[in-house]
Amino acid sequence: MRNILIIARRDLRAQFNSPVAYVVIGGTLLLLGLLIFKLPHMSVAGVAIGGFWEIDRATMDEMFSLLPALLSVLVIPAITMRSLAAEKGSGTLELLITMPVRDSEVILGKFLAAFTTVVILLALTLLYPIAMFKWPMNFGALDWGPVWSGYLGCLFFSAASVGLGLMFSSLTESDVVAFFLTLVSLFALYAIGPMVSVVHGGVIGDAISFISFQSRYQSFARGLIDLRAVVYFVSVALLSLLVSFRSLESRKWS
Amino acid sequence: MSNDVMIYASDLSKNFGSFRALDKVNFEVKRGEIVGFLGPNGAGKSTTMRILTCFISPTGGTARVNGHDVFDAPLQVRESLGYLPQRAPLYLEMSVLEYLRFAADLRHLDDSTFRQRARSVVEVCGLAQVLGKEIRHLSHGYRQRVGLAQALIHDPPILILDEPTSDLDPNEKAEFLDYLKQIGQHRTVMLSTHNLAEVEASCARAIIVSRGRVVADGPLDEIRAKSGRVRYVVSIQESAVGAQYRGRGPLPKRSEVEDALGKVDGVKKVGELPTDERAHSFELVSEQDVDLRPELFKLIVDKGWVLLELHRDAQTLEDVFRSLTIGDERRNRQLGAAAEADDEQDDEEDVDDEDEGDDEDAERSADEDQKVAKDDRS
Repeated sequence: MRNILIIARRDLRAQFNSPVAYVVIGGTLLLLGLLIFKLPHMSVAGVAIGGFWEIDRATMDEMFSLLPALLSVLVIPAITMRSLAAEKGSGTLELLITMPVRDSEVILGKFLAAFTTVVILLALTLLYPIAMFKWPMNFGALDWGPVWSGYLGCLFFSAASVGLGLMFSSLTESDVVAFFLTLVSLFALYAIGPMVSVVHGGVIGDAISFISFQSRYQSFARGLIDLRAVVYFVSVALLSLLVSFRSLESRKWS
Repeated sequence: MSNDVMIYASDLSKNFGSFRALDKVNFEVKRGEIVGFLGPNGAGKSTTMRILTCFISPTGGTARVNGHDVFDAPLQVRESLGYLPQRAPLYLEMSVLEYLRFAADLRHLDDSTFRQRARSVVEVCGLAQVLGKEIRHLSHGYRQRVGLAQALIHDPPILILDEPTSDLDPNEKAEFLDYLKQIGQHRTVMLSTHNLAEVEASCARAIIVSRGRVVADGPLDEIRAKSGRVRYVVSIQESAVGAQYRGRGPLPKRSEVEDALGKVDGVKKVGELPTDERAHSFELVSEQDVDLRPELFKLIVDKGWVLLELHRDAQTLEDVFRSLTIGDERRNRQLGAAAEADDEQDDEEDVDDEDEGDDEDAERSADEDQKVAKDDRS
């Protein structure tokens, strides 16, 4: 356990010593703000964006429907790409692994570091509901229930996504490859959700909405804590950690 | 296995796909020894070290470090050694002090122990000036020192260094070897290199590997003797240009000298060396344990020739290394088998069995070896 924390702390420090974390977090917050407050209300592939002022209700729905999309295509690929791929490429992994640490501790430490970065970003997005409905502005009585459940959903969603990102990072030596593999698969897992409406339900529709991160996440954004979704996200996270672990271990036998 | 054996490898083999990187490697390193692990690039040095540090697993055979098996107790193995991989891959965005702290944390040193160890390591490795600097801003020499410092931070009984001097300039190299002597006083050190001068400067014993096999293992003197051949150079005056000839009888002819030298007991081969018209120069080759010089001197005095030069070429480690790791495969194998014969009689048969199978590989790596040797020479 102690080793996990040491490795996670080192990784976190490395992220915040380089511009990557700042650019990603700052950029995401800026983009999120622009999309929510400056764009007219519209729906792109089932994701409602913009129109905070048009809706004329005390709600942060727009933010919670946007957050997972931004996390998928921007934040998580950028944060997880370096976790293992860069260390493998530069050889630092050899020095890390030949310290008295278990492979599993390395994987969990890396996961914890990337996940913490995402959590920091999520915590910062709290600024928006606070600024609109508490201080300095107070546009009405916000129902905080869906906000908290939305954040909870984001946490589970991020755990699964970070797990996948780490997995791709463990499979390659190039952080660019890891970035694109993560981006493409997260985008696919997210975007197949809205396609349910295209196939009009049925078995295929059920299957798609079962695996899609977007449809699994939806209920959280509406204020519903869906246990099945929790189990799903946690399973994806655990499975991808297991694959990462095996992939790290495979160096021994190749 | 006695308690004094710190590193023990038995029949260690490693395949990468169809490529056999290590083939039944056997050796022991005892407490307090500094052992040079020598071989051309691609001979299996790094592979062996990675197995010993539990970074990769062997395909066959066993290895024990400080009494712990690399399969059964990888964490204990890693705890008892300090390892510096090739090219010192460090986290560039960390400062030297941060890095040492990180290494110490992972090795579970408490704060006061860390401070105490860090002080001594910083002094030994000469890092006091750069402690606060980011590693990315350091020269290769300093990075190597940081790498050594992190390997030493927990005061390990065993140090494994993979080509620690490959990126250093000559001054840094000399300095590094000095540290090594200091550090190695109370430790077991295994260092890999393809630079022979380093081994001669810092190690008492060498293990030479070539194409995944141990071809020689022993004290440096023994290894020097391994090549089994000694070379003599003899020059006899051929003509006295512008001066009085001081010899007895007529000036000797080339064939006369060559025949006479060839008849000396113990001479295996006589070859002419290029000279001007004033001298006949010959190169003689003999077995290791006979000294031909008295015989040669007597012969020349008896014939009444004028001796211009007579010397015996001491075999340098470099010559031995080359003869062991380049050249025709057959000679290599024989020497290799002879070296291993003490440890393991079976090895010889295995070597022969596989001769046909990996000829292609062998040829390819022989080319590589020659390239390496050329680089070394230049």
